Amino acid sequence: MKKLTSIIFVILLNSILNAQNGHEQKYLLTTKTNTIGFSILSLTDPYLSPLTYTGNGIQFEHESRRFLSVSNTNVSMQSKLDLEGGYLLNPAGTSAMTYMAVNYSWGMHYHFRPVKGLVLLAGGTWDAGLGYKDVPRNVNNPGNVDLATNLNLSGIARYNIPLQRRTLTLQLAVETPVIGWMYVPLAGASYYEMFMLGNLSNISHFSSLVNKRGINPKLTIDVPFKSSVWRIGVGYQRLQYTANNMVFDRNELSFVLGTTFDGIGFGGRLKKAPANFISTTE
Amino acid sequence: MKKYSLIILLSAFLFSSCMNEPVSQPNTYEGNFQALWKIIDTRYCYLDYKHINWDSIYTAYHQKLPTVTNGVKFFDLMGGMLSELKDGHVNLYSDFDVSRYWKWFLDYPSNFSSDLIYTTRYLGQNYRIAAGLNYGIINNGRIGYIYCGSFSDPFSDGNIANILNSFSSCHALIIDVRDNGGGSLEYSKQLASYFFKRDTVTGYIRHKTGDGHSDFSNPIEIITTAHKTIQWQRPVAILTNRMSFSATNDFVNRMTQAPNAIIVGDKTGGGGGLPLSSELPNGWLVRFSSSPMYNAAMQNTEFGINPDISVALSPTDQANGIDTIIERAIVALK
Repeated sequence: MKKLTSIIFVILLNSILNAQNGHEQKYLLTTKTNTIGFSILSLTDPYLSPLTYTGNGIQFEHESRRFLSVSNTNVSMQSKLDLEGGYLLNPAGTSAMTYMAVNYSWGMHYHFRPVKGLVLLAGGTWDAGLGYKDVPRNVNNPGNVDLATNLNLSGIARYNIPLQRRTLTLQLAVETPVIGWMYVPLAGASYYEMFMLGNLSNISHFSSLVNKRGINPKLTIDVPFKSSVWRIGVGYQRLQYTANNMVFDRNELSFVLGTTFDGIGFGGRLKKAPANFISTTE
Repeated sequence: MKKYSLIILLSAFLFSSCMNEPVSQPNTYEGNFQALWKIIDTRYCYLDYKHINWDSIYTAYHQKLPTVTNGVKFFDLMGGMLSELKDGHVNLYSDFDVSRYWKWFLDYPSNFSSDLIYTTRYLGQNYRIAAGLNYGIINNGRIGYIYCGSFSDPFSDGNIANILNSFSSCHALIIDVRDNGGGSLEYSKQLASYFFKRDTVTGYIRHKTGDGHSDFSNPIEIITTAHKTIQWQRPVAILTNRMSFSATNDFVNRMTQAPNAIIVGDKTGGGGGLPLSSELPNGWLVRFSSSPMYNAAMQNTEFGINPDISVALSPTDQANGIDTIIERAIVALK
């Protein structure tokens, strides 16, 4: 029954694509990738402690990318949502930190194709992140918020490795913040003073390469199987920023596993789904 | 070639560690001693105000360091150094002990006996409890009495409305905060808000902005906002003793500015510095006063707040089941 359904679907899709070709109608595919990851994490937050906390984290990332338009396959749009949680300890193991963060980014890349099988993407992204670190043992400074937005330089190198039975895709993605804004608490002040008494002076900072530097290379390999493409990879993030006489530091080594697939998006007046595509909105 | 040079330069810039990262101390007796001494030297807020020569204290305690042979002795040495600050908000927390300085109340008469307030003369046994506030009517139905033993327990407007409604026949109120060692500043502010008719600047706070002993921010106003719907506008007496500390000190400071309020009893224990915490390389936690708080006249509240009426608990009265301080408050409220 499953086989029959698959055959019918392939025939149906083929006929649609043929029909589209016939009418020169093209639809943009959206490449979606969902990965989960496990990370080895170290955080230094001088507002909470002068010590570096180390531990493990788990993360989920959803990424989608598609070309800007059917007539322009040199520029693509990317959006990404990262969720992360971590549990860390101080070096002596006497105090624990829990960490939660969410980050959304959106960007565009230009695609260069210098040789067959190699695609280089260069562009920029904008991201906004919110995180919270909790050290319950602390007194009057038991938590700190990470809040920042950045414009980043972004580059991706993608290379197809043809093998006998399948073609693997090796990808190296790198991003670095260039300018942005960040919230950093006052070093000697409590959240009581800042938010209950309203002393918000000097908590808002412009960030640039002078006071915020980071790089996060991520090497992944996409392995196609019979009916799915799996992604495995390893990533590293180094982020350091300073404000209010404090230097914050983050190091993370992560291992990711996920799937990547292409989908077609329909919507609006101009991109109506063909009649034989059944939508949940009908 | 230019392109590659730019990339190499950018990479070198990104990876080079030019940000002034603080030097971290090793987890040794020496390293932990240095770390603790420096935390206090740069972040403790009362070194100048208390005329403490922290460099001399370094010398005195550092020369004892070679005599330390185990963790307990090291803890005692470090705790001893911290006790030189004479501050109830300074503690060192290890796995096996907490260092503390308690002379701010141990060297003074207690001026409070919980046995007395639960006698039939005062609350008796049938008092009511709302969110940690023990209350009842005393003095033949003329005065409402609330014992507030901590500002760690939250209470709601509903709790206070019910309590004050039960005192509707009373002409005055006593709030007893003796032996209340503090808690949350939010709760001390909330309790004070029911006794103000308008928003009032009741104090100021500053915080350390640099490593210098007197590097402070500009004062930030602490405003006690008047509660919009619940206001006790009859006389109120606040009973204090030396163990009225920290957030309770803050409550008393606010109430000095409340109309119709008088402070009766002993000077409060102080604790005017809002504490923060830090850690040593061995994982011990140190709590210390970080942000000095002031009264409305910009005077430090670290050493306590004087009452309007200074009264001590008389041993003779105590023996007769009489709380001298409550009695004096009743007289003052007439």
